[in-house]
Amino acid sequence: MGKFIVIGERIHFISPVIREAMLARDPGPVLQRAREQLAAGATYLDVNIGPAERDGEDLMKWAVQVLQDEFDNVPLCLDTVNQKAIEAGISVYNRAKGKPIINSADAGERISNVDLAAANDAIVIALCSKAGVPVDNDERMTYCQELLEHGMELGMEPEDMWFDPLFLVIKGMQEKLPDVLEAIRMLTDMGLNTTGGLSNISNGMPPHIRPIMDASMVAMAMQSGLSSVIINPCDQRMMETVKSCDVIRGNILYADSYLEI
Amino acid sequence: MSFVPEKQVFKSSIDVLEIGTGETSVKLGGQSVWPLYAFDGPLVNPPRVGIQISDLGCAGAIAGIQDYYADCADIAAQTIRAAEVPGAEFVCLILEGADPNGADRSVAETVELVKTVAAACPLPLTIAGCGSAEKDAELFEALAEELEGRNVLFLSATEDNYKALGAAVVLAWGQKLAAESAVDINLAKQLNLLLGQIGVPNSALAMNVGCAVAGYGFEYVASTMERVKITALGQNDAALQIPIITPVGTDAWTVKESMAEEADFPEWGSREERGISFEVATAAACLAAGADAVLLRHPESVSTIATLIGLLTEGGE
Amino acid sequence: MALKGLDIFKLTPKTNCKDCGVPTCMAFSMKVAQGALPIDACPHMTPEAIAQLTDATAPPMKTVHIGVGDAAHTLGGETVLMRHDKTFVSKSLYAVRLTDDMPAEVIDARLTEVAALDYERIGERMTTDLLFVSHGGGTADAYVALVEKARTAGRTLVLDVTDEEIAKAALAKVAGAGPVLHGATPDNYEAFYALASDADVALGVRASSLAELHDTVEALEKLGTKRLILDVGCASAKEAFAGAVQIRRAAISGGDRSFGYPSLVNIATLAAGNHHLATALASLFTLKYGSIIVLEKLDYALSLPLHGLRQNIFTDPQKPMKVDPGVYPLNGADPSAICAITCDFALTYFVVSGEFERSGVPTNLLISDAGGYSVLTSWAAGKFTASSIAKFIAEAGIEDKVTSRTLVIPGKVAVLKGELEEKLPGWTIVVGPNEAIQIVKFINELSA
Repeated sequence: MGKFIVIGERIHFISPVIREAMLARDPGPVLQRAREQLAAGATYLDVNIGPAERDGEDLMKWAVQVLQDEFDNVPLCLDTVNQKAIEAGISVYNRAKGKPIINSADAGERISNVDLAAANDAIVIALCSKAGVPVDNDERMTYCQELLEHGMELGMEPEDMWFDPLFLVIKGMQEKLPDVLEAIRMLTDMGLNTTGGLSNISNGMPPHIRPIMDASMVAMAMQSGLSSVIINPCDQRMMETVKSCDVIRGNILYADSYLEI
Repeated sequence: MSFVPEKQVFKSSIDVLEIGTGETSVKLGGQSVWPLYAFDGPLVNPPRVGIQISDLGCAGAIAGIQDYYADCADIAAQTIRAAEVPGAEFVCLILEGADPNGADRSVAETVELVKTVAAACPLPLTIAGCGSAEKDAELFEALAEELEGRNVLFLSATEDNYKALGAAVVLAWGQKLAAESAVDINLAKQLNLLLGQIGVPNSALAMNVGCAVAGYGFEYVASTMERVKITALGQNDAALQIPIITPVGTDAWTVKESMAEEADFPEWGSREERGISFEVATAAACLAAGADAVLLRHPESVSTIATLIGLLTEGGE
Repeated sequence: MALKGLDIFKLTPKTNCKDCGVPTCMAFSMKVAQGALPIDACPHMTPEAIAQLTDATAPPMKTVHIGVGDAAHTLGGETVLMRHDKTFVSKSLYAVRLTDDMPAEVIDARLTEVAALDYERIGERMTTDLLFVSHGGGTADAYVALVEKARTAGRTLVLDVTDEEIAKAALAKVAGAGPVLHGATPDNYEAFYALASDADVALGVRASSLAELHDTVEALEKLGTKRLILDVGCASAKEAFAGAVQIRRAAISGGDRSFGYPSLVNIATLAAGNHHLATALASLFTLKYGSIIVLEKLDYALSLPLHGLRQNIFTDPQKPMKVDPGVYPLNGADPSAICAITCDFALTYFVVSGEFERSGVPTNLLISDAGGYSVLTSWAAGKFTASSIAKFIAEAGIEDKVTSRTLVIPGKVAVLKGELEEKLPGWTIVVGPNEAIQIVKFINELSA
């Protein structure tokens, strides 16, 4: 099992600062958030440009180039429903530090993002869902199988499909969380990579609770085999937990200064 | 189905450490393959062999070593003679005489002695301390200044003196430094990180991760070195992508089997042969486990290990 | 080797027919990977797929037994490439070569040396493990005579002969002693397969390249034998090293069953006439995958470091090496010499005894049974305490064996001094240094 991969989620169109910067093609705020996330220990950066129906292609190219120029070809996770924008982004993407990730496909309408990944030698995040939340792990694994078969038919390597078990929100679906952990374990036992937007679990909780809940979840998920996560790396408790768990899993050699690197 | 060997080439590589200057300078490290696996990819730099001499001369050494240096009037002549041993690529001067528990030579006295060695030495020079962290710090600070421009490797910095040595030896005087950790891989990584935090770049560092003589707990050395390499190359851990340099000659001649006189153990045969055998067997095992350079005492051991390296890497890549 | 669900899934029909009782082929694959269902629970798996999976779960490297009685040895059976991942199970065996074109006095000298090399080190008997008897081109009679002579040494033999008739003649003399027939080549393998199976012995295989070696092994496997030893080649040290590593790596991490056999490295040829180079190569191949290592000669000078190294490398990383508890007189100590005590962890013993020996001061080193741990570890585990030391001194009869009543204890357990003085009336307890390296100075001052 390789070193745990943190995908930083803070370059997101939903954030007013980022939205404005993107619309104005002002690199400053985007680079600022990228710098903070990389300093905090992110490996990949997620670049969410929103639905980007109008100028998505231009915007994604701009974002990829601005970020990779500034941060030594930092690997990126291209996040939009606009497939043409993703293709445009990949067309200018430098793979020196890692393949691009497409965020994301599912077993329903968005399964075509698997085709997009296969055609562009990219990694794809594959949600174990079709329409809505799967009722149980049998359903999750059925979707997983559909996605995996589809990717393999298109010639993808299974390790380039990162399966998202769907991190369900505790407030409202608390009883489903053991299923999520079990799904991660099953996917791991299959030999598959896993990822997902983990902080969804603490949605709706008071701000001082969220980091505690997220860090606990990441520890349990890593114990279940989780290989990657999409989170805010500037959450110190989260990153300390991730690094500590990765020491315990044997992916990072311990040294007294391990939290500082 | 015909057999095609798989080649294991890592995406990471060991950083290159250069010691000495000009045509005789020696580079350690650089490879992206497992130690000695030239069949997987270029070793970039093959492992290196350094010859150890002591500032106390060779009194007390085995007869064969004394014979080799017999007509050397002083330490400068010994240095030249050491550099002539076939296969020796650099010289390692051990400052035994500065040991506070031994001859306790002063810093000033030692600096004078090292100056004559440095002036005579036609190969890159490395300087090993006396083992007292405090005295070594004093010595190395003075010597680093005195030998500015020679690109000397000093071994070793320890937990107790790395700050002073990193600042003086590397940052102030541009020399190279080895960090020492006695078969403790976590400490090895930590020392490199700490040196990095005060501004010492990887390219100025070597690691002495400890040594044990064959039969004397060598499994710890083997596992430490192998884990260093798998962490550096397989996990891309920059804090361990630093060449390993291992003093073998000092210990190989102090174990019981290479110390015992033939008269006491007649069936064991020549004491000199036993010593060479321990030195050679230990050095070869270190190279197999991951040492990028070994330091040896006996001229025959130096030549044998150089021959071994040549045979394993001949024809280059 | 454990199979991932994915490896199994790739071979399933992927129809989700539920005939196996599980909702999806994916779920079925997972259950098989966990061992919860057998592969044949799926009625639609092809026989090829089942064979492929069965093969993939077999051990990566065969275990080969050679020799009989006291001279029996086990080779192979390794599951890892690095000793800290899991123990190496079968230690390298050292063989000395005899050839029928050697002068008789050289052969005699070698055999005398083989008989003389016999000692114990930390509970393990160290000798020349095997004799490698080469056919150097002489007559069948000469070779058979050499084999019979070699046999008297009581070591398992490796018969290095590629001529069928000569091999047959030699085997007839020693087949019952479980020699290795070395052996098969791409040209003679069918005949040698028959010889080895008739005599029920392991068969060595050699070829001029790894590809050719692999083909020959596959052909032998088809004939029906899996009791093989692979010669890594002796064209050059570089090729031999590449061969040893690539064969082992293909077996352990590449899943290549045809290379899943023990190896043979012929250093007697690689370093002919250069004893020091042979020492270096023997050490290298002890770390890197030499199962049988053939040497021109093995004297004490070579054996002391080499057998010691082997003992280190093939030790179980989970189990500490222990020395026997008791009194170890150092520097010619008589019963009146001062006593020092430490624990029975082999490394501690070696370091501490080495330093006392360096001091030249006669000392009786007492080794207490401390579970094979270092001083602080065994102290913390309650195995090196005042009571356990007092018990050891009583049970081992130390007070009858030594007359001195001064006992030096390790500085790290200085805390035991008071309690020991209570438990050992008549003894003076002296706290020694914290580190072994300070022993020389300490003991010289103490005895001054």
